[in-house]
Amino acid sequence: MDTEEIYKEMADSIVGLDQEKALKLANQALKEDMDLLKVIEKGFGEGIRKVGDLWDDGEFFLPELMSGAQIMQKAVELLTPKLQSSGSTRQSSGKVLLATIEGDIHSIGKTIVATMLRANGFQVVDLGTDVKAEKIVERAIKENVDIIGVSTLLTTTMVNQKKVIEILNEKNLRSDFKVIFGGAPVTQGWVDECLADGYAENAVESVKLAKNLMS
Amino acid sequence: MSFTQWLSDKSKIILFDGAMGTQLMKYNLDPGKPPDLLNIENPDIVKKVLASYYDSGADMVQTCTFSSNLVNLKRQNLDNLLQKINSEALNNIEAIRPSIGKLIVGDVGPSGEFRPPVGNATGDQWKDGFRQQIEVLNAGVDLWHIETMSDLQEMSAAIDAIKEVSQKPIIASMTYRKTKARGFYTIMGDSLETCINKLEEENVDVIGANCTLGSDQMIELAKELVQLTKKPVSVKPNAGQPRLEGGNTVYNQTPDEFVNDIEQMINLGVKIVGGCCGTTPTHIQKIRALIDNH
Repeated sequence: MDTEEIYKEMADSIVGLDQEKALKLANQALKEDMDLLKVIEKGFGEGIRKVGDLWDDGEFFLPELMSGAQIMQKAVELLTPKLQSSGSTRQSSGKVLLATIEGDIHSIGKTIVATMLRANGFQVVDLGTDVKAEKIVERAIKENVDIIGVSTLLTTTMVNQKKVIEILNEKNLRSDFKVIFGGAPVTQGWVDECLADGYAENAVESVKLAKNLMS
Repeated sequence: MSFTQWLSDKSKIILFDGAMGTQLMKYNLDPGKPPDLLNIENPDIVKKVLASYYDSGADMVQTCTFSSNLVNLKRQNLDNLLQKINSEALNNIEAIRPSIGKLIVGDVGPSGEFRPPVGNATGDQWKDGFRQQIEVLNAGVDLWHIETMSDLQEMSAAIDAIKEVSQKPIIASMTYRKTKARGFYTIMGDSLETCINKLEEENVDVIGANCTLGSDQMIELAKELVQLTKKPVSVKPNAGQPRLEGGNTVYNQTPDEFVNDIEQMINLGVKIVGGCCGTTPTHIQKIRALIDNH
């Protein structure tokens, strides 16, 4: 099998949600001393992008999306030690801080976004749910993230998303971070009103949005 | 008249209530505080909203217990209040229910926890969590509405829990989104047809859909729903999609547009109509007038 074929097999293992095959291929890549960065990008990474497309089309649903991302994650974890010891690291797509805003305990959407971002090469700091805007900003500074993602499911707590931007403005730090919103009630109108940098309808869109903001 | 008599009366269109959560928000409550807690902390507000729906002409109104199953309460560290929230919810609705010809519906919403690979919930956790809520509510409700379920397996767990403790009729409402090319599916990947087949197998009394979709998209779903099942059908669509305007949540559809859509669904053969997020007593009043002139 030539290298391109192995990449294709790797992508197929993610789309086929076949963890055994994915890990076998990852081990093969280690044994054959393949270029691991390419393995991740052209092989497994291509697979997770296809999973995203299938979700977009309504062919895949939440279980497939999560399984695909989790298998991708496991394959990458297997490759990481050698990748690090060789001195080369997977180029980070960017660092993202995620939190569900104060007053809201809904975690599932944010967790899916975190999983998809990680599978696509982002470093993710997930602060959990019911997090105060002040704390979000404080951690974003400390962790030196590129993007702050604030989630809410409730229209009652949406107003707190705006607080994150207000605090950044007060501290004169607004230009240091991209701020994106997520959650069912969020619209472009709300993003415009808050002067945020964007929002996404779902986890797949959020990856595209984050990549656009980093480019 | 009992609910089953209403169901067998061919000329009867049953009017359900409108939204609870979005009505409670109008009282400027603490953002994020679970509305069900108000049954204990501010019962007068809950009673006001419940009464507004009976007064608007709803045949039946549901308890303010959408998130008061054990799994959901546990996540919010409120599990010690399960008994109290549900029994106060019953007291609140019993206190304002008109004496004749109106029914109380026990509202059972999703646990908020998903099964693997999305989350860690198990069928037994779901079922046990629902059963504890249902045991309390069973003392006073006339029928059940399991609603806003996005996982058919969780729906089954709730149905099983009810059947273990109660003989009362069940309306089983899943929530669907419209996929680009394949029609209506739950986010967990069950098609409308799969859901209906399963719910028929479970022998629920009414098959329904609620939330997620506005009334315009719900017409499309209702068309398919009435074709796919001989069971009575229930719909509770949202009043369009929510957006914030000057800090207030507004829905992009007028009550008249909503009621026009409801009329179309009644003409398609839908038996039970009401509203979900964003609907108000005004919506229910207007549907009452529509049904009475039908």
